[in-house]
Amino acid sequence: MIYQKMAIPPRSEHLWRYTPWPRIHPSSPDEVPDVVDLVFSVDGGHTLEAIEELENSHDDIARAFLHSAGGSKNRLLISQDSDIIQVHVRATGNIAVGHLHLDVKASCAVLIHLSGEAEWVGIHVTGNVQPNTQIAYGFINELDTNTKFLRCEDWLVERDGELEHATLSIGGSRCKSDLRSTLNGTGSSIRQSVTANAVGSRHDDEHVEIHHLHGHTFSDLVMNSACSGSSHFIATGLLTIAEGANKTDASQVFRNLLLSKKARAEAIPELEVLADDVSAAHGAASAPVDPNQMHYLMSRGLSPDESQALIVGGFLLNAFSNLTNKYLTEEMQTRLTVHLECELKG
Amino acid sequence: MGEAVTEEVLRVENLHVSVEGTPILKGVNLIINRGEIHAVMGRNGAGKSTLANVVMGHPAYEITEGRVFFKGSPLEELEVFERARAGMFLSFQYPASIPGVQVGNFLKKSVASVRDEPPKGRAFRKELNAAMEKLSMDKSFLSRYVNDGFSGGEKKRLEILQMLLLEPHLALLDETDSGLDIDALRIVAQGINEVAVNSGCLIITHYQRLLDLVKPDFVHAMIDGVIIKTGGPELALRLEDQGYDWLDVAA
Repeated sequence: MIYQKMAIPPRSEHLWRYTPWPRIHPSSPDEVPDVVDLVFSVDGGHTLEAIEELENSHDDIARAFLHSAGGSKNRLLISQDSDIIQVHVRATGNIAVGHLHLDVKASCAVLIHLSGEAEWVGIHVTGNVQPNTQIAYGFINELDTNTKFLRCEDWLVERDGELEHATLSIGGSRCKSDLRSTLNGTGSSIRQSVTANAVGSRHDDEHVEIHHLHGHTFSDLVMNSACSGSSHFIATGLLTIAEGANKTDASQVFRNLLLSKKARAEAIPELEVLADDVSAAHGAASAPVDPNQMHYLMSRGLSPDESQALIVGGFLLNAFSNLTNKYLTEEMQTRLTVHLECELKG
Repeated sequence: MGEAVTEEVLRVENLHVSVEGTPILKGVNLIINRGEIHAVMGRNGAGKSTLANVVMGHPAYEITEGRVFFKGSPLEELEVFERARAGMFLSFQYPASIPGVQVGNFLKKSVASVRDEPPKGRAFRKELNAAMEKLSMDKSFLSRYVNDGFSGGEKKRLEILQMLLLEPHLALLDETDSGLDIDALRIVAQGINEVAVNSGCLIITHYQRLLDLVKPDFVHAMIDGVIIKTGGPELALRLEDQGYDWLDVAA
């Protein structure tokens, strides 16, 4: 659909309840402003291919907007097994937009580092995981603390394909992510984790959809956030299991650690199950730091600040424990550890 | 021959403690000197764990009367972490699990907090390996998350490993023997005996079997928040044999 002809979605919609479209749009909602390209670069022996046009069949306003806005358009074809492919994405200027399509025809790990000082950044990542291939995919948002950020992703995982999907959200002032994956063949699977450190007045809204279209599919989603200052973290999930998708095994767990009285967190998993013979579980919890954990660490000589930092760090790192790819896990954990150490040192 | 100088580690004077307004300890007196092993025995709810926790400074407990001194200095003003840094250690009955925090990282931070000189990488690894070997602990422990998914025996071994590394002046061991099989008990007892040479030890237990391996100098029977009788190792044997009913009259 064409963005300008779309109605602004009401806040009653699950997706737009906490970050309405006008609050994440870069200017006025009826405008499509001029944008500069997000700059993509890849380490190692892989190359990005610039593509002319992208398909526009989006009925979602954020995707339609990013399509209308334009920006850089790239495709990364992975046709040989690779350990890890580092993709650096740099955002400069006022409003920066880019698109990346990952065509996964061989097993690999891809890590995207997004950084820069643009006032507003929008990125749309799409990926096809071909039958019987595995991808471990990580996305690290390290944008400037003043940047508004919109991120959309759409993944299609074919028969016996495996997607490991990790997000580390530590940058930006107001962030809205809408990450959707479709398990489009028997035996396909996704393990997904989102870790967010919400500090200061940061607003981070992470929406994850996983759609099981076929039976014998597997999904596991873990979202952990630590919220301090007057930050607001929102985790919404939509897990659907189509009619006849029997023997599906799906779970979602959202956990929020509240570190100050003014910090807020929402954790709203939703299930739509139309098949009979499935295992589907979901859970959500928001709580302050466990005083028993604090007491235990302090009884070993750690100060209250050191104890809390260790607990928070462990809690955030633990979101990646459902991943099995060691490259991805190590990269995400290392980056998070560095971030937390920097934060501790001020 | 010169007379051995006793070095007082812990002195508890007329200690009264409440939890949410309910009195638990009702006048406990206890002195532990360096090199001494004291065992406290009593029924469930007698106040044994409360004594260990309040000495370590757990915030849930309120001292309503009496005082506690560590190496001659009053403890009231010291936070939990300051007590640990001063040389006090509590082996927890139910240690908290800390998901996401690796044992190796936690041990290094803990040792660095307690010692004046933070441990150097290679030297610390050597020391850590030696301590783990004593406790028959596999190195894979170090990459696991603190107490997360540990069996009862693994938790207790980790507690003793920490005690060996932190080298406390006062070790409080709260039912460290519970949930251990006989082999694990022997290993844990070996760790306690090693630390006990240079520190004061307070062992809280229900069972004689640990005291067969760790010889107490004093055994205290606690009834309803008061130490009602103190004796030598023979008292533990009698308690094991006859229970606590015979002490109720005295209580």
